[in-house]
Amino acid sequence: MTLKIEHLTGGYTGVPVIKDINLEIKPGEALGLIGLNGAGKSTTIKHILGLLRPQKGKILLNDVNLIMQPTKFKRQVAYIPETPVLYPELTLKEHLELTMLSYGLGPNKSWYRAHELLKMFRLDDKLDWLPIHFSKGMRQKVMIVSAFLADTSLLVIDEPFTGLDPLAVANLIDLIKQSITNGKMVLMTTHVLADAQQAISNYAVLNRGTIEVIGSLKEIRQHYGLKPDDPFDKLYLALNREDNGNA
Amino acid sequence: MRELAKKRLSENLKQSVKYLTLVFNDFFILALIFLFGALMFWYAQAMKTMPSDLWFYKPLVGLIMWLPLLTGHLVTLLKDADMQFLFTQDAKMSDYLKLMIKYSMVLPTILIVLLGGILFPFATIKAGITVWSYALIVIGTILLKGCMLLIEKENLYFYYNSPNWLSLVITLAVLLIGSLGSYIYPIEVVVMMIIARLGTKKDKGIFDWRYAVESEKARKDRVYSIFSMFTDVAEKQVTIKRRKYLDFLLPKSIAKENPNLFLYRRSLLRNPEYLNLLVRMTVFAVLISWLVQDWRWALGLSCLVIFLTVYQLLPMATEFDSNIMYRVYPIVRDNRGKDLVKVLNLGLLIQWLLISILWLILLQTDVHLWASIVALFVFTMIINYGYLLVRVKQQKIKR
Repeated sequence: MTLKIEHLTGGYTGVPVIKDINLEIKPGEALGLIGLNGAGKSTTIKHILGLLRPQKGKILLNDVNLIMQPTKFKRQVAYIPETPVLYPELTLKEHLELTMLSYGLGPNKSWYRAHELLKMFRLDDKLDWLPIHFSKGMRQKVMIVSAFLADTSLLVIDEPFTGLDPLAVANLIDLIKQSITNGKMVLMTTHVLADAQQAISNYAVLNRGTIEVIGSLKEIRQHYGLKPDDPFDKLYLALNREDNGNA
Repeated sequence: MRELAKKRLSENLKQSVKYLTLVFNDFFILALIFLFGALMFWYAQAMKTMPSDLWFYKPLVGLIMWLPLLTGHLVTLLKDADMQFLFTQDAKMSDYLKLMIKYSMVLPTILIVLLGGILFPFATIKAGITVWSYALIVIGTILLKGCMLLIEKENLYFYYNSPNWLSLVITLAVLLIGSLGSYIYPIEVVVMMIIARLGTKKDKGIFDWRYAVESEKARKDRVYSIFSMFTDVAEKQVTIKRRKYLDFLLPKSIAKENPNLFLYRRSLLRNPEYLNLLVRMTVFAVLISWLVQDWRWALGLSCLVIFLTVYQLLPMATEFDSNIMYRVYPIVRDNRGKDLVKVLNLGLLIQWLLISILWLILLQTDVHLWASIVALFVFTMIINYGYLLVRVKQQKIKR
């Protein structure tokens, strides 16, 4: 029961964005993927979701190879994108029904869970609404509810805090913590480390397409020569210096 | 701002010309010439037999001349980004809109003059309106359109709020009363213009950017809807309609559904492109069947219409491929052709049933017509289960 990324090199046609990435997430573990814009965070996620063709390497989830058994692999992954993507022709209720159909979930048990999540994000009275009537934050909440409803072994979350109100951020952090306690795996990219560190203790720093260091924030601070009480911004300044130094 | 207006008008003209050349292709022009010829022939015949000076002729002239006023809203060519980038230009919008009003007058003026020309024999000979009075009505109607556009322009500012329907009701009243006597009409138009002028302020204050951009979007959408009846319009934005009243066509339980069936059903019912197409093509088949009044032609042309319906519904198969969540979710896409066939089958059966019922009402009922109904059913099934399935299989699934 592990997510294994082995020697992954990939990106867009002819342009390798990530080079020889190796990552492993075990059940009950959460990993934060951090780095400057363009470091390769979203590209890594797109590879894990099967949206980009790898140039080298492989991705395994619980020994299921993404390339060989895509549907079996995807059934174990739920995704919360940075920008919410909904079906304009489906109501909120129908989005949840589609999630149940796609992941083969039993409606009775799933609806019980769905109502819990909807109530948590104050969407329980909007089941018949089309996405056109939702604000950006509400759309993001629909993505969160759908992802946690899928109850998969791996949760991939891309910049989840953008556009959410503080109450929703706190609820999302609680849900991530619960998932970790329940033995799920979480991979999350974010720049908002102050929020992320409430749920995630391990981080991988991506810089120019390669992983420079994996560890706790304390270990990462040490790696870049920062003091324990330095603000997180200094980490990005250090990455930027390193980037410029290598340019 | 004048330069910006000029640039946008020239881009808009280019775009309109591009689509108009696609709409008015050789076949359509030929069909229009025939239709126009037939209409004019009927008009000439009717003029010979029609009694003169009936009481309702003059108001009828007023009513017909009012129709072109329904067309041609104010073209502003404002865009979403203007709310951000022209935010500080409220005071200069007057200059921008002056050019837009001139441009917006072109189409209604052409329509009014064209209709005025066609109506001229009826108005002067049968309705007994003198030539000079009639000329005043035509010129006055153009001026009325100008007033309407000025009111539309004023509506774009916070201080002014006059609904469009009010302008239409007033102009209808003006035209109906005005058509009764030559002297009333110019007075009415002058009064309307004075009211429109008095309603405007020199210092206009705050411009309602959101309303102006939304109105322009709605106007463009109407124009693109007309173009899209004849050709593909890349700029057309699809606005999904909830259509709760059609929910009875959806299965009550999702137990026997799969994700593709689930999505296709809702797309067909709520995406206006698809449902409108189905309705439009059905009406078209009935209309041409009624016009040809012959079972052979009716059958042949209706088969063609059903084929074109399915052909135009083909993009439904790959509709969701660009949605990232459709590709991330564990949805099996290999058998989606069968799912689409299942969903479209209901739509096509309703189309066949409606065409058949209206054939029985509009055409001569005999054994040939009954045979045609059966043949049309067989053709519909072949197209749906044969052609559609094969074409969907041929479409490559993007991985």
